[in-house]
Amino acid sequence: MKRVFMLMLFIVFGLFLIAGIFPILYLFMLSFSGGWSWPDILPSEFSLRAWKYVLGTASGTWHSIGVSLHIAVVVTIINAVIAIPAGDALGRYKFPFKGVLEIILMLPILVPPIVILMGLHRTFITLGLTEKLSGVVLAHMLPTLPYMIRATTISFSRLGFEWEEQAKTLGAGRIRRFAHVVFPFLLPGIIVGSALTILISMSQYVITLLIGGGQVITLTMRMFPYINGGDQGTGAAYSILFALVAMGLMVLLDVFLNRLYREKRM
Amino acid sequence: MDFHLYIQNLQVKHGEFFGLIGESGCGKTTLLKILAGLLPVNEGSLLQNGRDITGIPAEKRSLGMVFQQDRLFPYMNIEKNVAFGLKMKGVPRSKRITRARDMLSSVGLKDLGERFPLELSGGQRQRVAIARAMVTNPPILLMDEPFSALDPNLRKEMRELVLDIHKKYSMTIIFVTHDREEAFMMFDRMSIMRNGNVVETGTPRSLYEKPSRLYTARFLGIPNILSGRTEKGLFLTLEGLELSMEKHEGEREGELIIRPESLEITQFHPEDRFAFRAILEKTRFRQGMVHCKITTHRGLILETLEKNNGELEGLTGKEVYVSYSPTDLVFLENEREVRECSTLMPEK
Repeated sequence: MKRVFMLMLFIVFGLFLIAGIFPILYLFMLSFSGGWSWPDILPSEFSLRAWKYVLGTASGTWHSIGVSLHIAVVVTIINAVIAIPAGDALGRYKFPFKGVLEIILMLPILVPPIVILMGLHRTFITLGLTEKLSGVVLAHMLPTLPYMIRATTISFSRLGFEWEEQAKTLGAGRIRRFAHVVFPFLLPGIIVGSALTILISMSQYVITLLIGGGQVITLTMRMFPYINGGDQGTGAAYSILFALVAMGLMVLLDVFLNRLYREKRM
Repeated sequence: MDFHLYIQNLQVKHGEFFGLIGESGCGKTTLLKILAGLLPVNEGSLLQNGRDITGIPAEKRSLGMVFQQDRLFPYMNIEKNVAFGLKMKGVPRSKRITRARDMLSSVGLKDLGERFPLELSGGQRQRVAIARAMVTNPPILLMDEPFSALDPNLRKEMRELVLDIHKKYSMTIIFVTHDREEAFMMFDRMSIMRNGNVVETGTPRSLYEKPSRLYTARFLGIPNILSGRTEKGLFLTLEGLELSMEKHEGEREGELIIRPESLEITQFHPEDRFAFRAILEKTRFRQGMVHCKITTHRGLILETLEKNNGELEGLTGKEVYVSYSPTDLVFLENEREVRECSTLMPEK
């Protein structure tokens, strides 16, 4: 029994190493290499060329990080504003065709937005929303909003009406009930929904490309040509940078929301 | 939810400890929530000191309410929880902290203000809930089975606490429970509820000793309810037992209610009391009392409850005299019960 367990552990650890650690290690080596030809195990030459380019002003990296963050944050805020009342309705109330509505709201998860991208593009052209940040923001809500709604729905169904009833008897009106009772209960759900929204928004390529029409250059847009084969060293550096930005954003989100949460506790 | 309440008229007096009691699903919690403003009234009105409060939302009624679950906000410490009502009223911070601390010490939790709800025991949390409901000094405190989730020893302690609070702050308390013991111990007056109706209202003692509805007697746990009819100052049970009544009722069918402690078992016929003969089947002792089961020669089974004087043990299995006083018997006429039920039953 113990042997089987050890074997399992070994396999899992091995898979983790192969799938998780090696690609990252490879990226690091690639990004710092000047030349790396087959069949060498390690790069033959150390170079900062890729990083110098990526972090330099000529590449426009910093601007595109700004664009990416801008989009991700705006999408997250709009999602939260929509998902809070939507989650309330889905999580705590019964109404006709609720099941149908839930499926429709989950559809972007079940059917990838790419499927409807052509139609969406067409519609956005008519509405004059292409080649604009606002259009990209709107398009990014498509694959992200379902996650946010799912998160708030679960939070609301856990919350129920009990706490608000209690707050009512203590003299709390609608706005204060939301601020002092509902919101603190929703926070964990909103954190999860925001994290997913940010990561998914930042990873969008095809939607941004088509709706943004090449005018909205996010970090993903900037790195894609390099990954696609143009310059592997630069692509690797961008990949690492992307991961760092995403991680940094998660940490910021955590710190910010935790502080808010702690304030509520005070 | 398809449930209807039909309350004809119910008045709670100022400063009274009033109970709503009934089995689960009788509408007692619904009624309490209506009083709190958490549920709307379809018809009729709610008056507080003569002022119509039917349309006033819960947050403006300034009532305190304690639920079965403590419902403390888990992300606030105890002090903040207690001070919540004051914060909603716009009381300045330093004042509300002082007041919250006073309230906490009056429920016996002086030093726990900094802790969080999850760090407290169930009983402590319910004390905090009481302190929180009372912090704004509401004229009326509503309590919805606040102790039923606690273990029995704790329940007793909490009852004492609430009785003390009632005395000290002289507030009106409306208390929902399904527990008869709680009712007899705490309430000044109470309403027994069933199927969304008030069956009867009165002091626990009067309801127990002189119930005017059969359900009252059953609900309050009177085991001896005999069917039969009255005739010439006697009550004849279906089994053929004859009992003397206090007054002539004429000829009527109905139920006779005999409280178990009004019966007395003796070996010989007592001179100054009415008595009938029966066989003492079983005796059971509990806390200084002895609980007996007797069977009359016609097969009628009755229960009695007396002080344990040590004599009854030897009489088990023997024929004894069961004496009673006609003033202790309560006769309820059949039709009356049927008629009232039909007018009060919820219409579907």
